[in-house]
This record gives sequence, C-alpha cells and structure tokens, in this order.
Amino acid sequence: MSSYEPKLVCFSCKFGWGYLGNEEALAKQIKNWVPIICSGKVDSAHILTAFRQGADGVLILGCRGGDCHYQDGNYEAKKRVHLLHKILESYGIEKERLRIELSIDPEGNKIPQLVKEMSDKIAKLGPVKKFGEPAKAVAVA
Amino acid sequence: MWKTESKGIARAEEAVKQFLPPCQIKCPINEDIQRTNVLISLLPEDPQQAREGIIQISDYLYNKNPFFNICGYICGLCELECNYKAKGGAVRRRLLKRFLSDVYTDYLKQKEEFSVIKDKENVAVVGGGPGGLMCAYALSKKGYRVTIFESSNRLGGALWLIPNYRLPEEVLKATVDNLVRIAGIDVKFNAKLGEGKLTIERLRNEGYKAVFLAKGTPYPRVLTFDGATVEGQDLSGVMYGHTLLYEVSHGNIGANYFKGKKLIVIGGGNVAFDVGRTAQRLGGDVTVACLECEDKSSRDGIPADEEEISAAWEEGIKIIYSRGVRKIIGEHGKFKGIECPKCTCVFDEKGFNPKFDHSDCLDLNGDLLIITVGQVPDRAFLQREGLVDERGRLAVDPFSLQSLLKEQVFIGGDVRRIGFMVEAMKEGVVAATSIERYLRGLDMREGRQRDFEAYSIPLRKTYKPEAEVVWIPPEKRMHFQLFERGLTLQEARAEAKRCVTCGPCVSCKACISIGFEKSLYAVEVDREKCSGCGLCVFACNYSAAHLVETDGRILSATDMFKCKSCGMCVVACPSNARKLVDDDTERRIAKVMASL
Repeated sequence: MSSYEPKLVCFSCKFGWGYLGNEEALAKQIKNWVPIICSGKVDSAHILTAFRQGADGVLILGCRGGDCHYQDGNYEAKKRVHLLHKILESYGIEKERLRIELSIDPEGNKIPQLVKEMSDKIAKLGPVKKFGEPAKAVAVA
Repeated sequence: MWKTESKGIARAEEAVKQFLPPCQIKCPINEDIQRTNVLISLLPEDPQQAREGIIQISDYLYNKNPFFNICGYICGLCELECNYKAKGGAVRRRLLKRFLSDVYTDYLKQKEEFSVIKDKENVAVVGGGPGGLMCAYALSKKGYRVTIFESSNRLGGALWLIPNYRLPEEVLKATVDNLVRIAGIDVKFNAKLGEGKLTIERLRNEGYKAVFLAKGTPYPRVLTFDGATVEGQDLSGVMYGHTLLYEVSHGNIGANYFKGKKLIVIGGGNVAFDVGRTAQRLGGDVTVACLECEDKSSRDGIPADEEEISAAWEEGIKIIYSRGVRKIIGEHGKFKGIECPKCTCVFDEKGFNPKFDHSDCLDLNGDLLIITVGQVPDRAFLQREGLVDERGRLAVDPFSLQSLLKEQVFIGGDVRRIGFMVEAMKEGVVAATSIERYLRGLDMREGRQRDFEAYSIPLRKTYKPEAEVVWIPPEKRMHFQLFERGLTLQEARAEAKRCVTCGPCVSCKACISIGFEKSLYAVEVDREKCSGCGLCVFACNYSAAHLVETDGRILSATDMFKCKSCGMCVVACPSNARKLVDDDTERRIAKVMASL
C-alpha cells in the first residue's frame, strides 16, 4: 500500500500554464503531461481513455475564466468535467479523480505542485476500483 | 525563455480581397495589431525579461511602422473600429503601443542600422514630416539611395506642432533621428525647395531619378466670412494658432506668456484645441469658438476628438459652439473683440457652405485672438513648379500619387490632403511603391487595388471592461509634461488579453511566433462519417463551421478564413468526422495513454 503511486494524466493549456518555463525541465517533473493549445480541446473520450488505460486521475489546467484565447474553451472544459463527474461516478470512479483548475501560471512551477497535491489525495482513495470488484479486495492487495 | 520568432511574414498574402481584423482595416497602414496584442498578453511578469519581450515585439512592429511609438501617444484610430467597443469599450490599443514605446524609445538609440545594399537609384524626398520620412524609409529598405530635403533644421514636420503634454519632445526627436540613422537616409537640413536655386529641375540634373513631394501645409488659413477674408487679421493682438505652436515648440515662449490675458481661439479642430490648451497652460483665460455644433454625430458636429474637448473643458477652457466670425473689431490698431453671428448650418450638399442667422449675434471681447481654422500648402511654389492644373488645383493621380504633369514627381501627405499623421504615412508608403514601379518600368496600377473585409466579434461568455485611462487631474496638469499615465506591465498584459482576436489567423500567427503551435492546421471533414448534425456549428465560436448541402446530403464544412484551428468542433463532433490536419496533439495524447 505504501508503495502505491497513483498515475495521473495532466493536460495544461499553453496560453495560461508554463509557457515561460522550460518545457523539458517541467516534463521531467510531471509524468504523463500533455501541454495542449486549449483546455477545450480535451475530449471527453481522452479522459475516459485515460481511465480505461489505467490512469488513477486526470487533471486539467485551463485559463482563468474569461481569459480563453479561443473565447470559451476553458468554460467548455469545465462543463465537460461537470458532466463527466456524473458518468464516472455511475461507474464507481470517484469524482475527485477528475479535476479542472482554471488559473494562470506562466512559469509553470505550480503544475508539479498541483499534480502532487492531487496525487496525494488519490493515494488515499487507492487505485480505481474495477467494475464488480469490491473495494475491500483492492485495499488488501 | 521568452522568445518570439517570425517564420516568414505574419501578414496575410496580399490578395484582391483580404480578411483582417477591423482595427487593422481602420489603420491606414494596416498595422499588425492582433499579433502584438496576443504577444503583449503573454509577456513575462519579470520586468527585465518583459523588456526583452517588448523589444522583440517592437522590432517586428518597427519594420512596418517606424513611427509606432509616436502613434502610441497621438493616434488610436484603430480603437474606433474595435469590435469590443460595444462590449465594454475598445481594446486600448493606443496605450498598449505607448506601453511598448516606454521601453522602445530608449532602446532606439542602440538599435542597429539595417544592412541594405544601396545599389538602386537616387530618390529625393522633399519634406521631413511623417509622409516624407515614411516614403524615404520604405525606399531605403529596398536599396534606393534616398535624400530628404528638409526646409527647417529638424525632422518631424507638423508633428512638432503637437504640444509636449500630448507628445513629449524626446519621443519625437528619438523617433525621427533614429529612423534616418537606422534606415540609412541622407538628410539635408535648411534645404527649402523653391528657394534660391533649389528646384525640381535642379534635383533632376543632380541625378535624382524621382521626387516625392511632401512639403505639408506650412501656412495658416486666413479667416473668411461669406467667401471674403475678414478684415482686421493684421491688428496687433491677432495671431495664428500655427505660429503659436511653432514658437512654443522652439522654446521661444516663456511660462505665463499669456498671464492675465483673455484669449479667443477660433476653430473646432484638434489643432484649435491644442492651441487653446497650450494658451491656457501659458496662463491665459481661453475661450474656444467654433462654427460647428456640439453634437459630434451630426454633419455639422465639431471635428475635434472627444478626448480633446473633455480635457480642454476640464482645464477650464470655455467652448462656444455654432458661431462664426463676421467682424474683427480693433481699437487704435489693437484687437478688441469679435462679432459672432449664430451659425445655422455648416455643410450642405455642396460641402462647406456655412449659413448664419445675423439677428442672433454674440459679441466676444478679449485681449488676443488666435485664428486656427486650418492650414494651407505653399501654392505659389506648386504653381511655379508647374504642378497645378489650369483651375489651380494640384494635378496628381490620387491612386498612385504620381503628378499628372511631371512623371518623375510624386506628391502626398498634407500638401495633397490634410489628414491624420498616419494618413500622411500611408501616402508615403503608397508613393514609395509608385516610385519603385516607376523606376522599374512597371505598371502603376496592376495588382495594387485591395479590398478588405472585417470580421464581427466572436461569441464568448464573458467580456471585460476596458482599462481606465488615467489623466493627471486638471488642477495639477497645467504644465507641458505628459498628462496621461501609461499602462504598467500588469495593466498592459490584462488589457492585451481582452483582445478577442477577431481577425483571421493568417494575419496574426502570434501562436506560431511564440512556439505554441507549429502551423495553422486546417480542419478536414470526413464526408463518410459526417452526419450533418450541426453540433460543430454550435461549438464553433467563430461561425467558421457551417452546414452545406452537397449531392442531396447535409454535410458540415469549415470556412478556412474564419477558422482558428482551436479544435473545439473536433471535440464536439460525435461521429469523429472532423480532424485537424498535421496537428500532433492527438498523437501526443495517444503516446501518454499508451505509456500508462
């Protein structure tokens, strides 16, 4: 249990996050990181695929409200996360495993921090429970 | 590291019909406004790093518009057509440029000269104002050897008449002096064409293959009433606004020059307000009287800018609208007052043709009368040089600016038609193209006519109010220092971020310059998969995605001029029919997914 390290996928909008930082150095700190031109470009299918492939959580970082270069991409992403929470929960995937943060951090220093924070929270939840598998079984393993 | 790179030119290809954001269409020289806005919004917070970014952005602007730092103080035409106007105020583009200027004006003196081999013909530019300088700049960059003949001892022309509290002298001087250095333009000062032996013929004999005449309007227009000159303009105490601004700019007029004096300024243009505000700063008690009415939206409305009028009013200047000057009254050779009948109509279908109600006449008394009703070119010179037609009008082709009477002469700027600084600059650019065509033996017109089409504002959930313009309060600004505060880095980034980038990507490409995107991806629709449901139309904020009927089927399509390659439609499409060609995002996502 102590060796369990959750796998997180992080999408971040290029217009708000880390564009001034060194992308290579950041990539070393952030596993499974996908800088993307707009958070609105993150498809629901991408998020579901991540969970299907074994991700324990998905973090989406978008621009601040009203700052989107493509008008409302961040708003669309937020809406999508809201709807996906309901779907994920119906499959037994806790909504804490999908998070969207709308803010700005040109240097990108906050990204590893946010990933760590979320990772810690998910560690407490344990791995995603496979459908039909009782929660207890996972805890024992 | 903040770095912009321009891979090729961001400007859209010149086309018969070109799509641009409305601000860039309004700008006579079509400055790359959207691109700068996006890049300013992405500047680093650290002042030193931001400085480097500002210089990179400015260098790019400078290439097309070496006057941009002056525009940042006095222009702002682009703001008139900003799509944001109706949604909380135009993006303060002028102040954003001034923000760049605050760093770049200082940097100009260390900017390197362009390395251009000057192996083309000699061209003479007559007049060192914005029109002349712009023409010289454009030709010089193309390898022509350009010499400016300037009648005074300084470059800048009529820009010197703009008071220091609006355009600081250091900014003007740094801009014009460095412009000729950077572009490698020769300047002959105190060389007035038409004086002594210096004529167009002489220039030709000296080997100048073409001449651009941009002598401006050196003389004030005299006051007329009913088509006749108003008597008494030679009285002591009557002067022209031009003369005042000229003398002030040369430092010939001391503080409190007008102390205790009651002044009447005649005129309703920006120059009249410059004169009024200058005189008020010199201690005078100023009243501005103009023919036009206060309703700027009407045909007879006052031509001065709203900002000028409100600033003047704040500074204690009285404004009297709809009054003409019928008579100037003098006493013992000194000015005493004017008779001002009510003006009932300024323009009719024939143009300027004021009508008056003589029964309603206001008498205004004062110590000094300053007439600022416009300025005129040196007609005698134009006549002597044989550049006017039999009706006494300048004979010039308005499209190419080529003289109709002397083929090697091109005429533009205020001398042809009075306008804003940037309009004179535009004429300089047009003349430069014409001169090149003339010297290369090319057709004057072929492929030069361009039509522009603007886009409307994209849809979004939230709009933000404009940045506040901060003026020093009137009681503290009655001096010749700048009265408007510039934007801070933080304010500039926020204001630039407001820009909704309504123009097409091809005219901007800021995202490529800064390395966010590799190219502008086109959207491809798979005809087999598309069901014609129209979700993409709903998802698109730019009205780019639309439905068309082909072969009896409804299919979605994308207007490539309006598309921003954001991918919102791709995400929205339930049948995976849309994709961005060459975009590697999907591949990068798939790679991460596979590694889980």
